[in-house]
Amino acid sequence: MKYYLFGLFASLSLSIFSQNTDYKKRVLENTEIELLSSYYSQDGVHSVIGGGIGTEELTDATLSIILTTPLNDDDVLTIDAGVSAYTSASSSNINPYNSTGASGGEGDDDDDDEGRGRNNNANSAPTGTPWAASSGASRSDELFYLNASYSHSSESRNFIWNTHASVSNEYDYTSVGVGGGISKLFNEKNTEVSLNASAYFDTWRPIYPTELHEYSKYGNGFLNQGFFQGVTILDQNGNATSAYRPTGFSQHSQTNRNSYAVTLGFSQILTKRLQVSLSLDVLLQDGLLATPYHRIYFEDKPKFYIGNAASIPFYTDPRNQDVFRLADDVEQLPNNRFKLPVGLRANYYINEMLTLRTYYRYYYDDWGITSQTANVELPVKITRSFTLLPMYRYYKQTQADYFAPYNQHFSTEKYYTSDYDLSAFDSNQYGIGASYTDIFTKFKIGTFGLKTIDLRYNNYERSDGLNANIVTFGLKFIQN
Amino acid sequence: MLIFSFLLTSLQSCTVVREYEKIYINDPDMILSARSSERFENAFQVYREAAVGGGGGKTGGGCGCN
Repeated sequence: MKYYLFGLFASLSLSIFSQNTDYKKRVLENTEIELLSSYYSQDGVHSVIGGGIGTEELTDATLSIILTTPLNDDDVLTIDAGVSAYTSASSSNINPYNSTGASGGEGDDDDDDEGRGRNNNANSAPTGTPWAASSGASRSDELFYLNASYSHSSESRNFIWNTHASVSNEYDYTSVGVGGGISKLFNEKNTEVSLNASAYFDTWRPIYPTELHEYSKYGNGFLNQGFFQGVTILDQNGNATSAYRPTGFSQHSQTNRNSYAVTLGFSQILTKRLQVSLSLDVLLQDGLLATPYHRIYFEDKPKFYIGNAASIPFYTDPRNQDVFRLADDVEQLPNNRFKLPVGLRANYYINEMLTLRTYYRYYYDDWGITSQTANVELPVKITRSFTLLPMYRYYKQTQADYFAPYNQHFSTEKYYTSDYDLSAFDSNQYGIGASYTDIFTKFKIGTFGLKTIDLRYNNYERSDGLNANIVTFGLKFIQN
Repeated sequence: MLIFSFLLTSLQSCTVVREYEKIYINDPDMILSARSSERFENAFQVYREAAVGGGGGKTGGGCGCN
Protein backbone atom coordinates (compact mmCIF):
# COMPACT_ATOMS: atom_id res chain seq x y z
CA MET A 1 0.00 0.00 0.00
CA LYS A 2 2.75 2.40 0.91
CA TYR A 3 4.46 1.78 -2.43
CA TYR A 4 1.21 2.51 -4.18
CA LEU A 5 0.80 5.78 -2.28
CA PHE A 6 4.41 6.74 -3.00
CA GLY A 7 3.90 6.10 -6.70
CA LEU A 8 0.71 8.18 -6.74
CA PHE A 9 2.45 11.04 -4.93
CA ALA A 10 5.41 10.94 -7.35
CA SER A 11 3.24 11.00 -10.43
CA LEU A 12 1.18 13.88 -9.05
CA SER A 13 4.35 15.86 -8.31
CA LEU A 14 5.66 15.32 -11.82
CA SER A 15 2.34 16.41 -13.25
CA ILE A 16 2.33 19.65 -11.25
CA PHE A 17 5.96 20.34 -12.20
CA SER A 18 5.26 19.94 -15.90
CA GLN A 19 2.25 22.27 -15.61
CA ASN A 20 4.49 24.94 -13.92
CA THR A 21 6.97 24.86 -16.82
CA ASP A 22 4.06 25.57 -19.24
CA TYR A 23 2.77 28.57 -17.24
CA LYS A 24 3.44 32.03 -18.77
CA LYS A 25 2.18 35.25 -17.27
CA ARG A 26 0.23 37.31 -19.76
CA VAL A 27 1.72 40.68 -20.65
CA LEU A 28 -1.69 42.23 -20.00
CA GLU A 29 -4.26 40.28 -18.07
CA ASN A 30 -7.48 42.08 -19.02
CA THR A 31 -8.84 44.70 -21.38
CA GLU A 32 -8.62 48.25 -20.06
CA ILE A 33 -10.57 51.31 -21.12
CA GLU A 34 -9.49 54.77 -20.12
CA LEU A 35 -11.62 57.89 -20.57
CA LEU A 36 -9.77 61.19 -20.35
CA SER A 37 -11.15 64.69 -20.67
CA SER A 38 -9.75 68.15 -20.18
CA TYR A 39 -10.72 71.79 -20.27
CA TYR A 40 -8.04 74.36 -21.07
CA SER A 41 -8.24 78.14 -21.07
CA GLN A 42 -5.60 80.77 -21.66
CA ASP A 43 -5.17 84.48 -22.21
CA GLY A 44 -2.28 86.79 -23.05
CA VAL A 45 -1.36 89.95 -24.93
CA HIS A 46 0.96 88.78 -27.70
CA SER A 47 -1.26 87.25 -30.38
CA VAL A 48 0.91 85.94 -33.21
CA ILE A 49 -1.99 86.45 -35.62
CA GLY A 50 -1.88 90.12 -34.66
CA GLY A 51 1.85 90.18 -35.42
CA GLY A 52 2.85 89.94 -31.76
CA ILE A 53 0.10 92.01 -30.12
CA GLY A 54 -3.50 91.28 -29.27
CA THR A 55 -5.61 88.91 -27.28
CA GLU A 56 -4.51 85.29 -26.93
CA GLU A 57 -7.79 84.22 -25.37
CA LEU A 58 -8.49 80.56 -26.14
CA THR A 59 -10.48 77.68 -24.70
CA ASP A 60 -10.15 74.02 -25.59
CA ALA A 61 -12.14 70.96 -24.56
CA THR A 62 -10.80 67.49 -25.29
CA LEU A 63 -12.13 63.96 -24.90
CA SER A 64 -10.02 60.82 -25.41
CA ILE A 65 -10.81 57.12 -25.22
CA ILE A 66 -7.96 54.63 -24.89
CA LEU A 67 -8.64 50.92 -25.33
CA THR A 68 -5.85 48.50 -24.41
CA THR A 69 -6.54 44.82 -24.98
CA PRO A 70 -4.49 41.61 -24.90
CA LEU A 71 -4.70 39.70 -28.16
CA ASN A 72 -3.01 36.67 -26.55
CA ASP A 73 -0.38 36.00 -23.89
CA ASP A 74 2.30 38.01 -25.70
CA ASP A 75 0.58 40.70 -27.75
CA VAL A 76 -1.21 43.91 -26.84
CA LEU A 77 -3.25 46.22 -29.06
CA THR A 78 -3.95 49.83 -28.09
CA ILE A 79 -6.49 52.09 -29.83
CA ASP A 80 -6.49 55.76 -28.85
CA ALA A 81 -9.10 58.11 -30.31
CA GLY A 82 -10.10 61.62 -29.43
CA VAL A 83 -11.56 64.94 -30.38
CA SER A 84 -10.49 68.43 -29.39
CA ALA A 85 -12.63 71.51 -29.91
CA TYR A 86 -11.17 74.96 -29.49
CA THR A 87 -12.43 78.51 -29.64
CA SER A 88 -9.84 81.23 -30.10
CA ALA A 89 -10.16 85.00 -30.21
CA SER A 90 -6.70 85.11 -31.77
CA SER A 91 -7.49 82.65 -34.57
CA SER A 92 -10.71 84.53 -35.33
CA ASN A 93 -8.53 87.48 -36.37
CA ILE A 94 -7.23 85.68 -39.43
CA ASN A 95 -10.17 87.66 -40.78
CA PRO A 96 -10.53 90.39 -38.14
CA TYR A 97 -13.16 92.51 -39.84
CA ASN A 98 -16.62 92.53 -38.36
CA SER A 99 -19.56 91.35 -40.41
CA THR A 100 -21.69 94.45 -40.07
CA GLY A 101 -19.65 96.60 -42.43
CA ALA A 102 -17.43 94.20 -44.30
CA SER A 103 -20.18 92.01 -45.72
CA GLY A 104 -22.83 94.68 -46.15
CA GLY A 105 -25.01 92.90 -43.64
CA GLU A 106 -24.33 89.35 -44.88
CA GLY A 107 -23.22 86.95 -42.19
CA ASP A 108 -20.23 84.96 -43.44
CA ASP A 109 -16.93 86.75 -43.34
CA ASP A 110 -14.54 83.86 -43.85
CA ASP A 111 -11.70 84.82 -46.14
CA ASP A 112 -12.13 81.81 -48.38
CA ASP A 113 -15.33 83.26 -49.75
CA GLU A 114 -15.48 84.63 -53.25
CA GLY A 115 -14.95 88.37 -53.19
CA ARG A 116 -18.08 90.34 -52.46
CA GLY A 117 -18.88 93.94 -52.99
CA ARG A 118 -18.43 95.99 -49.86
CA ASN A 119 -20.58 98.88 -48.79
CA ASN A 120 -18.71 102.20 -48.80
CA ASN A 121 -21.20 103.71 -46.40
CA ALA A 122 -19.10 105.17 -43.56
CA ASN A 123 -21.74 104.05 -41.07
CA SER A 124 -21.14 100.38 -42.01
CA ALA A 125 -17.39 100.50 -42.75
CA PRO A 126 -15.56 97.38 -41.54
CA THR A 127 -13.59 97.58 -38.33
CA GLY A 128 -11.45 95.16 -36.43
CA THR A 129 -9.05 95.01 -33.54
CA PRO A 130 -6.33 92.62 -32.40
CA TRP A 131 -7.73 92.98 -28.86
CA ALA A 132 -11.02 91.16 -29.36
CA ALA A 133 -12.44 88.24 -31.31
CA SER A 134 -14.08 88.73 -34.67
CA SER A 135 -17.04 86.71 -35.89
CA GLY A 136 -15.02 84.90 -38.57
CA ALA A 137 -15.35 81.16 -39.14
CA SER A 138 -11.74 80.62 -38.09
CA ARG A 139 -12.77 81.43 -34.51
CA SER A 140 -13.30 77.74 -33.76
CA ASP A 141 -12.16 74.39 -35.05
CA GLU A 142 -12.11 70.70 -34.14
CA LEU A 143 -9.22 68.26 -34.20
CA PHE A 144 -9.90 64.54 -34.60
CA TYR A 145 -7.22 61.94 -34.05
CA LEU A 146 -6.80 58.17 -34.07
CA ASN A 147 -3.72 56.23 -32.96
CA ALA A 148 -3.19 52.48 -33.04
CA SER A 149 -0.24 50.62 -31.60
CA TYR A 150 0.74 46.97 -31.32
CA SER A 151 3.41 45.37 -29.14
CA HIS A 152 4.82 41.86 -28.95
CA SER A 153 6.80 40.45 -26.03
CA SER A 154 9.14 37.48 -26.22
CA GLU A 155 8.56 34.33 -24.16
CA SER A 156 11.07 35.50 -21.58
CA ARG A 157 9.51 38.99 -21.55
CA ASN A 158 13.01 40.39 -22.07
CA PHE A 159 12.50 41.57 -25.63
CA ILE A 160 9.62 43.71 -26.90
CA TRP A 161 8.97 45.16 -30.31
CA ASN A 162 6.23 47.61 -31.16
CA THR A 163 4.71 49.45 -34.07
CA HIS A 164 2.23 52.31 -34.33
CA ALA A 165 0.27 54.43 -36.79
CA SER A 166 -1.63 57.66 -36.33
CA VAL A 167 -3.85 60.07 -38.22
CA SER A 168 -5.27 63.43 -37.25
CA ASN A 169 -7.22 66.12 -39.03
CA GLU A 170 -8.38 69.68 -38.48
CA TYR A 171 -9.67 72.31 -40.87
CA ASP A 172 -6.33 73.37 -42.28
CA TYR A 173 -4.02 70.49 -41.31
CA THR A 174 -3.79 66.72 -41.76
CA SER A 175 -1.17 64.45 -40.20
CA VAL A 176 -0.26 60.82 -40.87
CA GLY A 177 2.34 59.13 -38.69
CA VAL A 178 4.05 55.72 -38.48
CA GLY A 179 6.70 54.28 -36.24
CA GLY A 180 8.13 51.35 -34.39
CA GLY A 181 10.69 50.30 -31.86
CA ILE A 182 12.40 47.63 -29.82
CA SER A 183 13.18 47.25 -26.13
CA LYS A 184 15.62 44.87 -24.48
CA LEU A 185 15.58 44.09 -20.76
CA PHE A 186 18.45 42.35 -19.01
CA ASN A 187 20.27 42.15 -15.75
CA GLU A 188 17.17 40.46 -14.24
CA LYS A 189 15.05 43.23 -15.74
CA ASN A 190 16.99 45.86 -13.80
CA THR A 191 18.16 47.45 -17.05
CA GLU A 192 16.20 48.37 -20.14
CA VAL A 193 17.45 49.79 -23.42
CA SER A 194 15.08 50.90 -26.15
CA LEU A 195 15.23 52.31 -29.64
CA ASN A 196 12.21 53.91 -31.32
CA ALA A 197 11.71 55.69 -34.60
CA SER A 198 8.74 57.61 -35.97
CA ALA A 199 7.86 59.74 -38.95
CA TYR A 200 5.00 62.17 -39.52
CA PHE A 201 3.89 63.25 -42.96
CA ASP A 202 1.74 66.33 -42.54
CA THR A 203 -0.04 68.60 -44.98
CA TRP A 204 -1.14 72.21 -44.58
CA ARG A 205 -4.18 73.62 -46.35
CA PRO A 206 -2.97 77.19 -45.89
CA ILE A 207 -5.25 79.96 -44.75
CA TYR A 208 -3.87 83.47 -45.07
CA PRO A 209 -4.87 86.76 -43.42
CA THR A 210 -7.72 88.35 -45.36
CA GLU A 211 -5.80 91.32 -46.72
CA LEU A 212 -2.95 89.14 -48.05
CA HIS A 213 -5.36 86.54 -49.43
CA GLU A 214 -7.14 89.26 -51.41
CA TYR A 215 -3.85 90.70 -52.71
CA SER A 216 -2.77 87.24 -53.83
CA LYS A 217 -6.12 86.65 -55.52
CA TYR A 218 -6.59 89.95 -57.37
CA GLY A 219 -3.07 91.36 -57.70
CA ASN A 220 -2.36 95.09 -57.78
CA GLY A 221 -6.01 95.92 -58.48
CA PHE A 222 -7.16 94.20 -55.29
CA LEU A 223 -8.24 97.42 -53.58
CA ASN A 224 -11.11 97.77 -56.05
CA GLN A 225 -12.29 94.17 -55.90
CA GLY A 226 -13.44 91.51 -53.49
CA PHE A 227 -13.26 92.38 -49.81
CA PHE A 228 -11.65 95.80 -50.39
CA GLN A 229 -14.20 97.08 -52.88
CA GLY A 230 -15.57 100.26 -51.35
CA VAL A 231 -13.47 99.90 -48.21
CA THR A 232 -11.43 102.89 -47.04
CA ILE A 233 -7.81 102.24 -46.13
CA LEU A 234 -6.11 104.69 -43.80
CA ASP A 235 -2.46 105.69 -43.43
CA GLN A 236 -0.66 106.32 -40.12
CA ASN A 237 -2.18 109.81 -39.92
CA GLY A 238 -5.72 108.54 -40.47
CA ASN A 239 -6.00 109.83 -44.06
CA ALA A 240 -7.54 107.77 -46.84
CA THR A 241 -4.94 106.17 -49.12
CA SER A 242 -4.63 103.65 -51.93
CA ALA A 243 -0.89 103.08 -51.37
CA TYR A 244 -1.19 99.72 -49.55
CA ARG A 245 0.73 97.05 -51.51
CA PRO A 246 2.06 93.99 -49.62
CA THR A 247 4.42 93.18 -52.48
CA GLY A 248 6.64 91.00 -50.28
CA PHE A 249 3.86 88.44 -49.82
CA SER A 250 3.43 85.31 -51.90
CA GLN A 251 1.57 82.11 -51.12
CA HIS A 252 3.61 79.11 -50.00
CA SER A 253 4.40 76.77 -52.85
CA GLN A 254 5.31 73.93 -50.48
CA THR A 255 2.56 72.82 -48.12
CA ASN A 256 3.92 69.60 -46.67
CA ARG A 257 5.65 69.26 -43.32
CA ASN A 258 7.61 66.12 -42.40
CA SER A 259 8.94 65.20 -38.96
CA TYR A 260 11.37 62.37 -38.20
CA ALA A 261 12.37 61.19 -34.73
CA VAL A 262 14.77 58.60 -33.34
CA THR A 263 14.63 58.00 -29.60
CA LEU A 264 17.19 56.18 -27.47
CA GLY A 265 15.97 55.14 -24.04
CA PHE A 266 17.80 53.74 -21.06
CA SER A 267 16.43 52.88 -17.62
CA GLN A 268 18.12 51.38 -14.59
CA ILE A 269 17.01 50.23 -11.16
CA LEU A 270 19.71 51.55 -8.84
CA THR A 271 18.43 50.37 -5.45
CA LYS A 272 15.26 48.83 -4.05
CA ARG A 273 13.81 52.34 -3.82
CA LEU A 274 15.44 54.29 -6.66
CA GLN A 275 15.24 53.99 -10.43
CA VAL A 276 16.26 56.36 -13.21
CA SER A 277 15.80 56.73 -16.95
CA LEU A 278 17.47 58.70 -19.70
CA SER A 279 15.82 59.60 -23.02
CA LEU A 280 17.64 61.10 -26.00
CA ASP A 281 15.77 62.20 -29.12
CA VAL A 282 17.17 63.22 -32.47
CA LEU A 283 14.49 65.14 -34.36
CA LEU A 284 14.45 66.49 -37.89
CA GLN A 285 11.75 68.54 -39.57
CA ASP A 286 11.46 69.74 -43.14
CA GLY A 287 8.88 71.44 -45.28
CA LEU A 288 6.55 74.31 -44.41
CA LEU A 289 7.57 74.99 -40.80
CA ALA A 290 6.11 78.51 -40.66
CA THR A 291 2.41 79.04 -39.94
CA PRO A 292 0.66 80.65 -42.94
CA TYR A 293 -1.59 83.04 -40.97
CA HIS A 294 0.95 84.54 -38.56
CA ARG A 295 1.11 88.23 -39.51
CA ILE A 296 4.33 90.22 -39.78
CA TYR A 297 4.73 94.00 -39.65
CA PHE A 298 7.92 95.68 -40.87
CA GLU A 299 9.45 98.64 -39.12
CA ASP A 300 10.75 100.01 -42.44
CA LYS A 301 7.37 99.95 -44.20
CA PRO A 302 4.47 102.44 -43.98
CA LYS A 303 1.56 101.50 -41.79
CA PHE A 304 -1.97 100.99 -43.16
CA TYR A 305 -5.23 100.41 -41.31
CA ILE A 306 -8.92 99.63 -41.68
CA GLY A 307 -11.36 101.05 -39.16
CA ASN A 308 -11.59 104.09 -36.93
CA ALA A 309 -8.80 106.62 -37.52
CA ALA A 310 -9.18 108.03 -34.00
CA SER A 311 -7.94 104.71 -32.53
CA ILE A 312 -4.69 104.59 -34.56
CA PRO A 313 -2.57 106.52 -31.99
CA PHE A 314 -3.19 103.81 -29.36
CA TYR A 315 -3.30 100.82 -31.74
CA THR A 316 -1.09 98.66 -29.51
CA ASP A 317 -3.22 99.34 -26.43
CA PRO A 318 -6.28 97.24 -25.49
CA ARG A 319 -8.29 100.50 -25.58
CA ASN A 320 -8.19 100.05 -29.36
CA GLN A 321 -11.41 98.25 -30.21
CA ASP A 322 -12.08 99.37 -33.76
CA VAL A 323 -8.98 99.59 -35.97
CA PHE A 324 -6.78 96.86 -37.47
CA ARG A 325 -3.41 97.24 -39.15
CA LEU A 326 -2.94 95.55 -42.52
CA ALA A 327 -0.11 93.01 -42.65
CA ASP A 328 3.09 93.39 -44.64
CA ASP A 329 3.74 89.63 -44.85
CA VAL A 330 3.34 86.37 -42.95
CA GLU A 331 6.11 84.75 -40.92
CA GLN A 332 8.93 83.16 -42.88
CA LEU A 333 11.00 80.41 -41.27
CA PRO A 334 13.65 77.97 -42.55
CA ASN A 335 12.31 74.84 -44.20
CA ASN A 336 14.32 72.55 -41.94
CA ARG A 337 14.98 72.25 -38.24
CA PHE A 338 17.15 69.99 -36.08
CA LYS A 339 16.17 69.35 -32.44
CA LEU A 340 18.04 67.52 -29.68
CA PRO A 341 16.22 67.02 -26.35
CA VAL A 342 17.69 64.93 -23.51
CA GLY A 343 15.48 63.99 -20.59
CA LEU A 344 16.28 62.40 -17.22
CA ARG A 345 13.78 60.91 -14.78
CA ALA A 346 14.51 59.81 -11.24
CA ASN A 347 11.87 58.33 -8.94
CA TYR A 348 12.50 57.52 -5.29
CA TYR A 349 10.19 55.60 -2.94
CA ILE A 350 10.58 57.48 0.35
CA ASN A 351 8.13 55.49 2.46
CA GLU A 352 4.62 54.02 2.35
CA MET A 353 3.14 57.53 2.20
CA LEU A 354 5.56 59.46 0.02
CA THR A 355 7.17 58.99 -3.39
CA LEU A 356 9.35 61.56 -5.14
CA ARG A 357 9.06 61.87 -8.93
CA THR A 358 11.50 64.17 -10.72
CA TYR A 359 12.19 65.07 -14.34
CA TYR A 360 14.78 67.25 -16.05
CA ARG A 361 15.18 68.02 -19.76
CA TYR A 362 17.74 69.99 -21.74
CA TYR A 363 16.73 71.01 -25.26
CA TYR A 364 18.72 72.40 -28.18
CA ASP A 365 17.74 73.25 -31.75
CA ASP A 366 19.42 74.93 -34.70
CA TRP A 367 17.01 77.85 -34.70
CA GLY A 368 18.95 79.24 -31.74
CA ILE A 369 16.71 77.94 -28.97
CA THR A 370 17.96 76.16 -25.88
CA SER A 371 15.75 75.37 -22.94
CA GLN A 372 15.66 73.65 -19.58
CA THR A 373 12.70 71.95 -17.93
CA ALA A 374 12.49 70.80 -14.31
CA ASN A 375 9.51 68.99 -12.88
CA VAL A 376 8.84 67.58 -9.41
CA GLU A 377 5.83 65.67 -8.15
CA LEU A 378 5.28 64.34 -4.63
CA PRO A 379 2.50 61.71 -4.48
CA VAL A 380 1.13 61.48 -0.95
CA LYS A 381 -0.83 58.34 -0.13
CA ILE A 382 -3.42 59.59 2.32
CA THR A 383 -5.03 56.14 2.47
CA ARG A 384 -4.44 52.92 0.55
CA SER A 385 -6.96 54.13 -2.06
CA PHE A 386 -6.55 57.91 -2.07
CA THR A 387 -3.47 59.81 -3.22
CA LEU A 388 -2.80 63.54 -3.40
CA LEU A 389 -0.44 64.80 -6.12
CA PRO A 390 1.12 68.22 -5.59
CA MET A 391 3.39 69.17 -8.50
CA TYR A 392 5.57 71.99 -9.80
CA ARG A 393 7.21 72.61 -13.17
CA TYR A 394 9.72 75.27 -14.20
CA TYR A 395 10.64 76.00 -17.82
CA LYS A 396 13.06 78.50 -19.35
CA GLN A 397 13.99 79.03 -23.00
CA THR A 398 16.11 81.36 -25.07
CA GLN A 399 14.78 83.14 -28.11
CA ALA A 400 14.87 81.87 -31.69
CA ASP A 401 17.28 83.64 -34.04
CA TYR A 402 14.35 84.80 -36.19
CA PHE A 403 12.17 86.27 -33.47
CA ALA A 404 11.43 89.96 -32.90
CA PRO A 405 8.45 91.64 -31.22
CA TYR A 406 5.68 93.49 -33.05
CA ASN A 407 6.88 95.96 -35.70
CA GLN A 408 10.58 95.27 -35.11
CA HIS A 409 11.39 93.20 -38.18
CA PHE A 410 12.87 94.67 -41.35
CA SER A 411 11.79 93.78 -44.86
CA THR A 412 15.38 92.96 -45.79
CA GLU A 413 15.47 89.96 -43.44
CA LYS A 414 15.14 86.50 -44.94
CA TYR A 415 13.43 84.84 -41.96
CA TYR A 416 11.14 86.52 -39.41
CA THR A 417 8.53 85.66 -36.81
CA SER A 418 6.73 87.49 -34.00
CA ASP A 419 5.48 84.25 -32.42
CA TYR A 420 6.09 84.60 -28.68
CA ASP A 421 6.21 80.80 -28.38
CA LEU A 422 9.66 81.24 -29.99
CA SER A 423 10.69 84.17 -27.78
CA ALA A 424 12.79 84.11 -24.59
CA PHE A 425 10.68 83.44 -21.52
CA ASP A 426 10.37 81.37 -18.42
CA SER A 427 7.28 79.79 -16.91
CA ASN A 428 6.03 78.38 -13.66
CA GLN A 429 3.37 75.70 -13.46
CA TYR A 430 1.74 74.76 -10.17
CA GLY A 431 -0.67 71.89 -9.87
CA ILE A 432 -2.55 69.58 -7.60
CA GLY A 433 -4.10 66.24 -8.38
CA ALA A 434 -6.07 63.54 -6.66
CA SER A 435 -6.30 59.89 -7.49
CA TYR A 436 -8.68 57.26 -6.16
CA THR A 437 -7.96 53.57 -6.73
CA ASP A 438 -10.42 50.77 -6.10
CA ILE A 439 -8.41 47.55 -6.21
CA PHE A 440 -11.58 45.43 -6.11
CA THR A 441 -13.36 47.50 -8.81
CA LYS A 442 -16.66 47.34 -6.95
CA PHE A 443 -18.42 49.81 -9.28
CA LYS A 444 -19.12 48.10 -12.60
CA ILE A 445 -20.54 48.97 -15.99
CA GLY A 446 -21.26 45.67 -17.69
CA THR A 447 -18.15 43.55 -17.31
CA PHE A 448 -15.88 46.55 -16.73
CA GLY A 449 -15.04 47.60 -13.20
CA LEU A 450 -13.93 51.11 -12.31
CA LYS A 451 -10.27 50.95 -11.22
CA THR A 452 -9.12 54.55 -10.86
CA ILE A 453 -10.46 58.09 -10.88
CA ASP A 454 -8.02 60.94 -11.53
CA LEU A 455 -8.53 64.67 -11.25
CA ARG A 456 -5.80 67.25 -11.92
CA TYR A 457 -5.63 71.04 -11.99
CA ASN A 458 -2.68 73.10 -13.18
CA ASN A 459 -2.03 76.82 -13.44
CA TYR A 460 0.60 77.95 -15.95
CA GLU A 461 2.13 81.41 -16.04
CA ARG A 462 4.62 82.65 -18.61
CA SER A 463 6.86 85.66 -18.07
CA ASP A 464 5.57 87.37 -21.25
CA GLY A 465 2.06 87.58 -19.79
CA LEU A 466 0.47 84.37 -21.08
CA ASN A 467 -1.43 82.52 -18.39
CA ALA A 468 -3.40 79.30 -18.60
CA ASN A 469 -5.42 76.87 -16.55
CA ILE A 470 -6.15 73.24 -17.28
CA VAL A 471 -8.38 70.70 -15.56
CA THR A 472 -8.09 67.01 -16.45
CA PHE A 473 -10.45 64.23 -15.41
CA GLY A 474 -9.87 60.54 -16.04
CA LEU A 475 -11.59 57.19 -15.46
CA LYS A 476 -9.98 53.80 -15.93
CA PHE A 477 -12.01 50.61 -16.28
CA ILE A 478 -10.72 47.04 -16.24
CA GLN A 479 -12.61 44.09 -17.63
CA ASN A 480 -13.27 41.41 -15.03
CA MET B 1 25.73 56.94 -28.24
CA LEU B 2 28.95 57.18 -26.19
CA ILE B 3 26.98 58.31 -23.15
CA PHE B 4 24.54 55.46 -23.53
CA SER B 5 27.33 52.92 -23.94
CA PHE B 6 29.03 54.28 -20.82
CA LEU B 7 25.81 54.05 -18.84
CA LEU B 8 25.12 50.58 -20.13
CA THR B 9 28.45 49.20 -19.03
CA SER B 10 28.91 51.07 -15.77
CA LEU B 11 25.40 50.88 -14.32
CA GLN B 12 25.22 47.14 -14.81
CA SER B 13 27.59 46.88 -11.89
CA CYS B 14 24.88 48.32 -9.60
CA THR B 15 23.23 46.00 -7.13
CA VAL B 16 20.75 43.71 -8.84
CA VAL B 17 17.27 43.97 -7.33
CA ARG B 18 15.50 40.60 -7.54
CA GLU B 19 11.89 40.35 -8.65
CA TYR B 20 10.68 39.57 -5.12
CA GLU B 21 12.51 42.70 -3.85
CA LYS B 22 10.75 45.06 -6.28
CA ILE B 23 7.75 45.82 -4.08
CA TYR B 24 8.68 49.53 -3.96
CA ILE B 25 9.94 49.74 -7.55
CA ASN B 26 6.63 48.29 -8.80
CA ASP B 27 4.51 50.90 -7.00
CA PRO B 28 2.31 52.70 -9.59
CA ASP B 29 3.77 56.08 -8.57
CA MET B 30 7.29 54.84 -9.43
CA ILE B 31 6.63 54.34 -13.12
CA LEU B 32 9.34 55.96 -15.29
CA SER B 33 7.06 57.79 -17.68
CA ALA B 34 4.44 60.50 -17.63
CA ARG B 35 1.04 59.48 -16.37
CA SER B 36 -1.69 59.09 -18.99
CA SER B 37 -3.61 61.88 -17.25
CA GLU B 38 -0.69 64.24 -17.99
CA ARG B 39 -1.13 64.00 -21.77
CA PHE B 40 -3.22 67.15 -22.10
CA GLU B 41 -0.74 69.16 -20.05
CA ASN B 42 2.04 67.85 -22.27
CA ALA B 43 0.00 68.85 -25.33
CA PHE B 44 -0.42 72.50 -24.37
CA GLN B 45 3.24 72.68 -23.33
CA VAL B 46 4.22 71.49 -26.83
CA TYR B 47 1.98 74.18 -28.33
CA ARG B 48 3.18 77.00 -26.08
CA GLU B 49 6.89 76.17 -25.77
CA ALA B 50 9.65 75.47 -28.28
CA ALA B 51 10.94 72.29 -26.63
CA VAL B 52 9.60 68.84 -27.41
CA GLY B 53 10.62 65.26 -26.67
CA GLY B 54 13.16 64.02 -24.17
CA GLY B 55 10.52 61.83 -22.60
CA GLY B 56 8.43 64.90 -21.86
CA GLY B 57 5.91 64.84 -24.66
CA LYS B 58 5.36 64.02 -28.30
CA THR B 59 8.34 64.26 -30.59
CA GLY B 60 6.74 65.87 -33.58
CA GLY B 61 4.02 65.94 -36.13
CA GLY B 62 0.29 66.01 -35.77
CA CYS B 63 -0.13 69.71 -35.24
CA GLY B 64 0.67 72.99 -36.85
CA CYS B 65 2.59 74.16 -33.83
CA ASN B 66 6.28 75.14 -33.95
